[in-house]
Amino acid sequence: MKLKISIIALALTGMWACQPELNEFTPSKGNADFTTYMSAGNSLTAGYSDGALYKSGQENSYAAILAKQLETVGRTGEFRIPFIESEDGVGTRGGALVTKMKMGFSTDCKGVQSPSPVLANPNATQQELAVLIGTPVGANGPYNNVGVPGAKVGHLLAPGYGSLNPYYGRFASAPGNAVVNEFATVQPTFFSLWIGNNDVLGYATSGGIGDVITPVSGDPGFGFAASYEAIVQYFEFTATAGVVANIPDITSVPFFTTVPYNPIVLTDQAQVDALNAGYAAYNGAMQLFGSELRINWTLGQNPMVIADASIQVPAGYEALKMRQITAEELVLLSIPQDSIKCGGWGTQKPVPDQFILTSPEKTEVANAVTAYNQVIEQVAIAHDLAFVDVNAYMKQASSTGIKLDGVMFTNTFVTGNLFSTDGVHLTPQGNAAVANFFIDAINAKYSASIPKVAVSQYNAVLLP
Amino acid sequence: MTKSFIFSLLFAMAGMTLFAGGYQVRLQGNKSTGMGLTGTALNLGSSSIFYNPGALSLMKDKMDFSVGASGIISRITFEKSGSDYQAETENPMSTPLYVYGAGKISEKWTVGLGVYTPFGSSAKWADDWAGKLLIQNIALKAIFVQPTVAYKINDKLGIGAGFVYAHGTVTLEKGLNYGPDAGVKLEGTSSNMGFNVGVFYTPCEKIAVGVNYRSKVLAEVKGGDATFTVPQIVQLKGIVTENKFDATLPMAGNLDVGVSYQASEKLLVSLEVNWVMWSSYDTLNFVFEEKGDLLNSSNPRLYKDSFIPRVGFEYILNDMVTLRAGGYYDPSPTDESYFTPETVSLNTLAFTLGLSINPTEKLSIDLSYLQLAGLKAEKTYLPDSFGGTYKSAAYIPGIGVSYHF
Repeated sequence: MKLKISIIALALTGMWACQPELNEFTPSKGNADFTTYMSAGNSLTAGYSDGALYKSGQENSYAAILAKQLETVGRTGEFRIPFIESEDGVGTRGGALVTKMKMGFSTDCKGVQSPSPVLANPNATQQELAVLIGTPVGANGPYNNVGVPGAKVGHLLAPGYGSLNPYYGRFASAPGNAVVNEFATVQPTFFSLWIGNNDVLGYATSGGIGDVITPVSGDPGFGFAASYEAIVQYFEFTATAGVVANIPDITSVPFFTTVPYNPIVLTDQAQVDALNAGYAAYNGAMQLFGSELRINWTLGQNPMVIADASIQVPAGYEALKMRQITAEELVLLSIPQDSIKCGGWGTQKPVPDQFILTSPEKTEVANAVTAYNQVIEQVAIAHDLAFVDVNAYMKQASSTGIKLDGVMFTNTFVTGNLFSTDGVHLTPQGNAAVANFFIDAINAKYSASIPKVAVSQYNAVLLP
Repeated sequence: MTKSFIFSLLFAMAGMTLFAGGYQVRLQGNKSTGMGLTGTALNLGSSSIFYNPGALSLMKDKMDFSVGASGIISRITFEKSGSDYQAETENPMSTPLYVYGAGKISEKWTVGLGVYTPFGSSAKWADDWAGKLLIQNIALKAIFVQPTVAYKINDKLGIGAGFVYAHGTVTLEKGLNYGPDAGVKLEGTSSNMGFNVGVFYTPCEKIAVGVNYRSKVLAEVKGGDATFTVPQIVQLKGIVTENKFDATLPMAGNLDVGVSYQASEKLLVSLEVNWVMWSSYDTLNFVFEEKGDLLNSSNPRLYKDSFIPRVGFEYILNDMVTLRAGGYYDPSPTDESYFTPETVSLNTLAFTLGLSINPTEKLSIDLSYLQLAGLKAEKTYLPDSFGGTYKSAAYIPGIGVSYHF
């Protein structure tokens, strides 16, 4: 008993046991002035995620995370974000408004249930979503985060852009404004600019048919280089420091890398024979036309048959403008899986072009990304700005993966932790990683010490 | 000292909070604790069962019993590299303890039994801390039971050997990156064996020399319980919520060499070096019964051997009171780049104080106090790219009673 009492007495002695103190990190602004931070860009900057703009997504944008960290190095005042006051949010898909997606279960045409992204609220009406996105909040501005989903480089310079893009229109401080006109209302001392993705992404996500790639040359508002330069100059009316980021290759993005080119699995020789018989006429005609294109089927995995308008055939044979997809070509995440499984897509019917990025299209996109990134890096050098090589980080994530705080970031759809359920935009954890990449670049450029965040404190894609 | 008392003590044993190199806990005798945890070249009575069974043969009394416990209050602070993020452990107090009994059965032979807790570690981080994917909470406990025989070759030289039965329990919790509540809890027990042998030699009246070897003992968990808290989708991939696992943690072998010198009638000086063979802790492997292809992991630890120099003093103030003091330097056996927050083992400086009160000639009440500072160091666990600066402290009061006749 005596011993037990002693042990209890000893427990009380915990009072004199001091917690060791650490003070290894001293935040420092270096030679930059972070008093007022403003972020411009597209959906990534806005915090668009899971196919929609929603409140917690906006709260977890890399820009919002960076703003929080900048508080330790002299940033003052509220970092104002034009919040969509909804957790389901509002996004666009095929011309309609939708809520965000979340992971759930869907049943395919064969009655097989499997995990897949589903709409958070499939019953949301167009009207209520239109109200959500259409409610003007400009009067509550000015806003520090002017990331606009869908915006291309030239768009930021377009007067009245709000009338074309409701994501800007809702928070524009004046109807006739261009996004760059918002800069003067905030008067940033420090800015971040991450834009350029949509200048190729619109083209790429529509399989090369729904949009055009922004040319590098051309006047401000049209050409990439002059527009980019002009945006930075708008910032520099007040800002004395800033950070710009380049854009990733689309082959780093799950939207383009998730669906395999050869998902047609044939296990039955009779099936193989029937398909080969079915394409015998095609192969014969192609031989006759002097083309080397052939469609062949074997047991196992087979490449899909896709429509390709660039194939040269004599008049009257337009139905033969198809071929089997090559291993280098990309199938978009937007392809309706049921059409492959039950609708004969890829076997009996060619997959429409809008779901495929063919080799020539892929080359066009890759060339554009390279050209844009040259511009971005040159602007960073010319204006003496911090530069984030997002392209290199994403390449690393999609090849070896990037590990931070025990989290493995890859470009694997949903489980890669970096990309959200839309396959293009970042998870909160991905945003935290990107915020750290920005901080590294800013610290290096301005000899600053901005504290990084622990990515494990943020969520990846939440699973049911 | 009744049997039930001993068992109630064992029952009360909480996880040992890590306070020294690796997860070894040398608090196995309060007299020794007061003297910088030296003991190899000391004639400690029944506590020599742990420190040097060779010394047991030269025990001064016919019978000797000791029992004691310490309360480890430990604190760890972490600051993430490149960040102002800080975290602190919320370690519960842990209480390593010992019970020894020894008696001479003949002129030459002495037998004894020791029950002690030489290894253990516990670290409790907040469930949502930055390193949650590495570790949230760990508690290792090992209790050793050691029947021992010692043989007096002559009045100057004794040898002794003990057989060690070790029972270990481990509980480990870590987060998984599937949301705030996802994680895995591993619980298991182990039963393994080892031995403890020693030689004790007094070349002259004032000098004693001791060499002691305590073998490596494995904590080999077979079929431990693994409980996964993961989303339904992950379960559909075959990650069952109730699984079984195997893992083995080595409890390092020690070779201790010590010398003690009776500087005066009242002052005893004890010097010692412990060679702790931590290099046996190279990799921590987990093997799961179900879905091993997805779950099995091999986690480098790359510990290296460490050498701990110790010094201790004992001063007999009067018949009633003996004072003790000591200190040591315990270099971390961990690898700079494979340092995990599950075992925050830093280079450690320690001082000790001790006080014995002898109300009668037969009874001694032994108080000790050990305070140690884990020197701050920036460390990384490369496989998870998790790094930061760690600093630790521990405050360890202890009390023991020994009775001899």
